[in-house]
Amino acid sequence: SWRRERKPPSGNAKAEPALPSSANQSKAVSEKPNYALKFTLEGHTEAVSSVKFSPNGEWLASSSADKVIIIWGAYDGKYEKTLKGHNLEISDVAWSSDSSRLVSASDDKTLKLWDVRSGKCLKTLKGHSNYVFCCNFNPPSNLIISGSFDESVKIWEVKTGKCLKTLSAHSDPVSAVHFNCSGSLIVSGSYDGVCRIWDAASGQCLKALVDDDNPPVSFVKFSPNGKYILIATLDNTLKLWDYSRGRCLKTYTGHKNEKYCVFASFSVTGGKWIVSGSEDNLVYIWNLQTKEIVQKLQGHTDVVISAACHPTENIIASAALGNDKTVKLWMSTY
Amino acid sequence: MAHRGGERDFQTSARRMGTSLLFQLSVHERELDLVFLDHSYAKPWSAHPDASSARPTRMLFVTPRRQHESTIESDVPIDVETVVSTPVPLYDNQKARSVMNECERHVIFARTDADAPPPPEDWEEHVNRTGWTLAQNKLFNKILKALQSDRLARLANEGACNEPVLRRVAVDKCARRVRQALASVSWDTKLIQWLHTTLVETLSLPMLAAYLDALQTLKGKIPTLIDRMLVSSNTKTGAAGAEALSLLLKRPWDPAVGVLSHNKPSKLPGSPLILIASSGPSSSVFPTSRRHRFWQSQLSCLGKVVPVATHLLPGGSGAGVLQCLEHMVGALRSKVLEIHSHFPHKPIVLIGWNTGALVACHVSVMEYVTAVVCLGFPLLTVDGPRGDVDDPLLDMKTPVLFVIGQNSLQCHPEAMEDFREKIRAENSLVVVGGADDNLRISKAKKKSEGLTQSMVDRCIQDEIVDFLTGVLTRTEGHVGSEPRDQDAEKKKKPRDVARRDLAFEVSERGSRPASPAAKLPASPSGSEDLSSVSSSPTSSPKTKVTTVASSQKSSQIGSTQLLKRHVQRTEAVLTHRQAQAQFAAFLKQNMLVRKALPPGTSSCLFVPISSEQTEEAEKEELRVQLKRHHPSSPLAGSKTCKRPKIKVSLISQGDAAGGPCAPSSGAAPEGECLFACDGAPVFVSRSSASEGGVSASQASSVVSSSASPSALHTLQSRLVAPSSGGSLPGAASASSLLQGLSFSLQDISSKASGLPASPSPGPAPQAASVKLPTPAQSLGAVTTGAGSIVRAVPVATALSSLGATPGGKPTAIHQLLANGGLAKLASSLPGLAQISNQASGLKVPTTITLTLRGQPSRITTLSPVGTGAAPSEEPASQVLPSNSQRLPPAP
Repeated sequence: SWRRERKPPSGNAKAEPALPSSANQSKAVSEKPNYALKFTLEGHTEAVSSVKFSPNGEWLASSSADKVIIIWGAYDGKYEKTLKGHNLEISDVAWSSDSSRLVSASDDKTLKLWDVRSGKCLKTLKGHSNYVFCCNFNPPSNLIISGSFDESVKIWEVKTGKCLKTLSAHSDPVSAVHFNCSGSLIVSGSYDGVCRIWDAASGQCLKALVDDDNPPVSFVKFSPNGKYILIATLDNTLKLWDYSRGRCLKTYTGHKNEKYCVFASFSVTGGKWIVSGSEDNLVYIWNLQTKEIVQKLQGHTDVVISAACHPTENIIASAALGNDKTVKLWMSTY
Repeated sequence: MAHRGGERDFQTSARRMGTSLLFQLSVHERELDLVFLDHSYAKPWSAHPDASSARPTRMLFVTPRRQHESTIESDVPIDVETVVSTPVPLYDNQKARSVMNECERHVIFARTDADAPPPPEDWEEHVNRTGWTLAQNKLFNKILKALQSDRLARLANEGACNEPVLRRVAVDKCARRVRQALASVSWDTKLIQWLHTTLVETLSLPMLAAYLDALQTLKGKIPTLIDRMLVSSNTKTGAAGAEALSLLLKRPWDPAVGVLSHNKPSKLPGSPLILIASSGPSSSVFPTSRRHRFWQSQLSCLGKVVPVATHLLPGGSGAGVLQCLEHMVGALRSKVLEIHSHFPHKPIVLIGWNTGALVACHVSVMEYVTAVVCLGFPLLTVDGPRGDVDDPLLDMKTPVLFVIGQNSLQCHPEAMEDFREKIRAENSLVVVGGADDNLRISKAKKKSEGLTQSMVDRCIQDEIVDFLTGVLTRTEGHVGSEPRDQDAEKKKKPRDVARRDLAFEVSERGSRPASPAAKLPASPSGSEDLSSVSSSPTSSPKTKVTTVASSQKSSQIGSTQLLKRHVQRTEAVLTHRQAQAQFAAFLKQNMLVRKALPPGTSSCLFVPISSEQTEEAEKEELRVQLKRHHPSSPLAGSKTCKRPKIKVSLISQGDAAGGPCAPSSGAAPEGECLFACDGAPVFVSRSSASEGGVSASQASSVVSSSASPSALHTLQSRLVAPSSGGSLPGAASASSLLQGLSFSLQDISSKASGLPASPSPGPAPQAASVKLPTPAQSLGAVTTGAGSIVRAVPVATALSSLGATPGGKPTAIHQLLANGGLAKLASSLPGLAQISNQASGLKVPTTITLTLRGQPSRITTLSPVGTGAAPSEEPASQVLPSNSQRLPPAP
């Protein structure tokens, strides 16, 4: 569907020679990151659709159009295992809070719950009537939320694999779903241009955020403290919203994003950055406060569909579409 | 002195700000306290002589409005990381979590077959629906949906810091949905029993636990329906399991229950009587709301609670709103009067919900009460907010506390402030954030602030206690002081606060002082407080103090008060004179309503205003009184208010009653009351005394003085003299005796039981003479007053027992009632007839009508014919047609 394209796996990580990344390093110590490519992870045989670090920082999971999920070592890029089971392309993958489970969303209209240790599929969540495009756990990891091309958002009970609630309030494919840090709220974004905030307990829509001209929402997520949401729209824009007041606080531009649902992320381990992939094959890093672009990471040979930040270290993982098919790990001292 | 005062203020503030549960629970504005904390010379809000009597508003759970930040755009650094630390829950989290999961822990009790393996997680697929009817399928699906929503809420709230509150909200919601589903099949017994059995058999354990939670919640609300539902399963399960289940269902959990029960509010000082005004006519079919009943029990932690109910006329579908309102006012008012006369020094606090609050306010304008608490207040009317220049409420002098909901429809905090500025009474306002007219907070509020209604209610209660404690411990003369005193009084207020708290702490220390004298040293302002102490007596004997007080104040007090003091003193002596004084005190209690009668009627109507207030004629009368009182009360000051009012209405033939009226009115304090006297009443009281011994010891002295008119007069002066200073003319005494009869009847029902907080031991001998077999029962009756029919039943038994004297002989009253008329009595006692003729020169009335305060049931038991249908119908007056509000010409 939207984030996939490419080709076969081999499953190895190529270490890059350690290089200081840019010229203006001395100045950047305090104000700019110095991410440098450390590892290129090859293994997927098709476009990679999503990369996520495990909450405990040990692993990196990548999902791909080649219908498998690969687990990598987060620090060394070492190939760990492949999770096979889906019949069609996988669009998204997410970790449970204890890093023991994974959930994956696939074009085969199902979600699968995986046990990471054993690599087994524990449950298949059936119910969506079209491609499942995005998924996430809630913080206690007793619920899974999924968004689909059937324009609905479903909430699933992890233990039983039953759908407890279907939220149908979008009029176009749902591009992203996310829980806030306390698990009380859900945010969903859709191609209809609307972001909705839901009460997780009741499934009531609490708020709808719409910008003046409503470009399709390609990605949305809560800030780590749950006070803000970051919204990516297909007009090359990232915005930081204070959703409680319904106000846009920051706008980040400069990258290219008109076609794909590109992941973005908050980087809080060093400086406070916003990190996003881009359709010009680069990874963009903005200063969260000043909105300046502080670094662009060059290396991928296709659209960087996903960029993720390590929970504790200054590590960025990025993944690209079908021309590239690799996952790259970048590290910085700041 | 100033320094010490300041120190005390500081302690007060610190105590209140630091330790009260209230403080911990609520978001408060405490400007007042902060002033005290500032400097010893800082002035409180009321320092200025022209300051209004409206105290600063107190906010409960009102979230402060966030300041508008205009230039947030790029200047303020955005923190995306720091999680705002959530406040520690106000309840014992561990305990709350434990009770919250009770159903889950004990879910196995519900299983019909505990040994069989529980249904698997995918139980839904295993449910065999073959043979189910459409209705069954529909019902099952509805319940299932409700349980699924509940499941989602449980999972989503897991681990949240205020999970117990969120769970409670979710369970309530689920219970509501289950109830709706069951109601949709009209609680069809067969269907709901099938449902219960099926659910118990098929649901997975977590779902079953959720179902039990819902049942538990519903059981508290609709026990009989739920019981009906459970019957079938109970018969199937083992007895032990069924019992455990029913135990489990009997205990709905509340997150805050532990905290609240550990911090019980202490009794109010001065053991006031709390009168709850009804906010509408009640009937047994539509009992008062659960919330009101709950509050009634909450308030009983503070003092004796007496709900005053108003009943609709039997078959009174035509009763207008205005009539109804008048009934309510009248009922409450007569109750106040009754209490005044029974317990002259007992502080009375009126509490009402919404309309009841309004009724309470109006009554406080008419009668002296210590304080009024309005829970919700219908400020906004169709004609705009109350408080126009002609609004009688503006004349209120009684300290009043308004508790209103922030989202109330009938009231608005800002409009309330305007209103408060206008009323003269010292008043306070508590605004409960996010609450409605009934002070119930919204679900959103519960969620966002981690509150439960029980916590909010407790905070409201704390506010009430706070307010009432302040009022009750202040000097008695305080409230009733002349306008010129009010400035000085306001200046005293800061000290009052300290004093109040001291007194409060004294009583809080657990061991109540053996006598109020023990309180005296604690009172910082010395002698001026003596009367305050005496006005708020504890249950202990207070003879010493009151004597001191009365002697000190004797120069200022009017005749009524003098009368009161004397009563007190005689109580202290504890001789049989005490009983006499008591009798005299009760003379004041009865309202005898004078009525215009068509000429030629020769009936005598003796009507203490009953709580039912069903007689239209009385309403007329009341209306007149209302009108009369409104203009007079502000001018006359509280002295008039405090004075118990005696109303005598004697309906005798033609205008003859007018004559005797004149002398007796002199005896009535301030001419408020009209005594009309007639020979007839004498018969009543005497006959009752001589034959039945219903009335007390003094009544027996009546017997001794039997037939001679002069002796009667002597007796009367003996009876009345101690109380009225001998100023009563003899003519008045006849009616006094009549009142005496009514007293003794009423007294049996109320006094005999001996309220625990009764200030005087006086009633005891009388009660003894009546020999009620079930004093405990009548105690219940007293506390509920004319409240509910159910509770009135004991009274009925008590009164019916009254019918027969200890000796088994019917009493005079009984006889009187049974034989239906005074004429008979009079003729049977020729001597008395003679007296009557001498005293009034009137014919012997043919009818006596007795209306007793209280329940219909009481009266009907008195009635020999036992016509239970008509409350406040006079059984004795069978001459009168039953609905004769206006008395027809006597035959």
